[in-house]
Amino acid sequence: MEIEFGAQSDTGCVRENNEDSYRVVPEMNLFVLSDGMGGLESGEVASQLAVDTVLARCREAEKNPSLPLAGERIEGVSTASNQLASAIRSANEVVYRTAQQGAGQRGMGATVVAVRCTDERMSVAHVGDSRIYRLRGDEFEQLTRDHSFVAEQVRHGKMTAEEAASSTMQNVLVRALGIEPTVEVDVSEELLMENDTVLLCSDGLTRELSDAQIAAVLGECEEPQATARRLVDMAKQAGGGDNVTVVVLRRAAKPVGAIARIGRWFKKSA
Amino acid sequence: MAKLVLKFENSVLKEMAVGSKEVSIGRSPENGLVIDNPAVSHYHARVFNEEGRLMLEDFGSMNGTFVNGQRVKMVTLKPGDSVGIGKHTIVVSESRDLDGFASGNGSAKPAAPKINETVMLDTKERREFLQKVAAVGESSQVAPSRLKVPTLIVRKGRTNQCEYALNDKLTVIGKSGMATVKLKGWFAPKAAVQITRRDDHSYYIGAADKVPSVNGQPILHPTILSSGDIIAVAGIELEFVYRD
Repeated sequence: MEIEFGAQSDTGCVRENNEDSYRVVPEMNLFVLSDGMGGLESGEVASQLAVDTVLARCREAEKNPSLPLAGERIEGVSTASNQLASAIRSANEVVYRTAQQGAGQRGMGATVVAVRCTDERMSVAHVGDSRIYRLRGDEFEQLTRDHSFVAEQVRHGKMTAEEAASSTMQNVLVRALGIEPTVEVDVSEELLMENDTVLLCSDGLTRELSDAQIAAVLGECEEPQATARRLVDMAKQAGGGDNVTVVVLRRAAKPVGAIARIGRWFKKSA
Repeated sequence: MAKLVLKFENSVLKEMAVGSKEVSIGRSPENGLVIDNPAVSHYHARVFNEEGRLMLEDFGSMNGTFVNGQRVKMVTLKPGDSVGIGKHTIVVSESRDLDGFASGNGSAKPAAPKINETVMLDTKERREFLQKVAAVGESSQVAPSRLKVPTLIVRKGRTNQCEYALNDKLTVIGKSGMATVKLKGWFAPKAAVQITRRDDHSYYIGAADKVPSVNGQPILHPTILSSGDIIAVAGIELEFVYRD
């Protein structure tokens, strides 16, 4: 299975520093993105700690599968998904400990979104309001549910989606890394098909662009790095009020040989 | 210096110091303290300092401004007062802890509050809020289906089992090694269909290599499954049921 990817991160047009971080580990098909928060430089520190810890723990688990998990095993998902959730729980501990120790770093925290592909199974894990989307054919779907105050209000029918989109409380999170000693990680699994495109992004993208705009770019662009660059450029043109970071990955289609082509023809007619 | 703490139910949404400049309150984004709720007027009220006293004035708002439960036009505020605007509450307090919050140990200069900075709901308040939300969520859940086991029963076609309990978050129907419902035959698709369980314990079916149909309707978007639904794909038919 071959996965092509691209990534782009930008401070935006308003902020002075970039508190977003991302890491890509091609040999593990692991993609991680984090959006930090907190005064001074603590947002940058938090997001870097988050992505680096997730990578380190996933690597360790890969080398030594018998390592105990941080937190409880989640039923109904693969070992890789559990290792990813465990790595994020460790990242929470590291950011939390740093926030407690450091002076002037109260309010330090971070979101995280992570994808790991093992064969066709894609593990999706997240905490906070960064998002993961998938485009399959014409179908564009958000695979994560924001852990934000307004999103919870919408889910519980206390606010409409329109009210949420114009709310001044969009920046209030209900779950993030580094705030409490432990954190609940949302984990799901998806199928990664040939030509599926997956997007990880910070809220700097989704505050500026609508789902329809994002889906259109993912659908038009062929190459993931060009797609990533285009998304960031568009977010900046739309205002760029926050840091913008995107990671785009696509499962490449296998080259079609003559026999496979005949097979496909049979399948279609079946 | 006094500070205003904007709360919704038990959650702290915002804190703001009142200096020499007045703080206008309302739904319109031009206000110093914006409360985004239909019960709040666009320009609802203001808080300002006058000869060392902290004053609150209601701008003749539709739904009124209340201090400690009394509707007011213009009053002097003191620490501990609770100002009610719509469903929101603004608590008046001394701003010592606000400075402390910004500077951490107090030795550094307080950082200027940045607009639109991502913040957490205050942790203790948050826990209460989440508990409340969870309680609402629980009570609105359809209880019976949660205790039952979602199951696929094969009604037509050849597969490796005649029944599948859906224990996993991801269930694939196809010839692939990761498929739970294994299709047979040379030209069977690797992954015809995927069924995913979401956090609210509902099951969604979506197209992969094939567009399945549910009760005769093609599934173009991920669609929730209900007990009794008949899924048809790649020559097989499955019934989705919640088993006792």
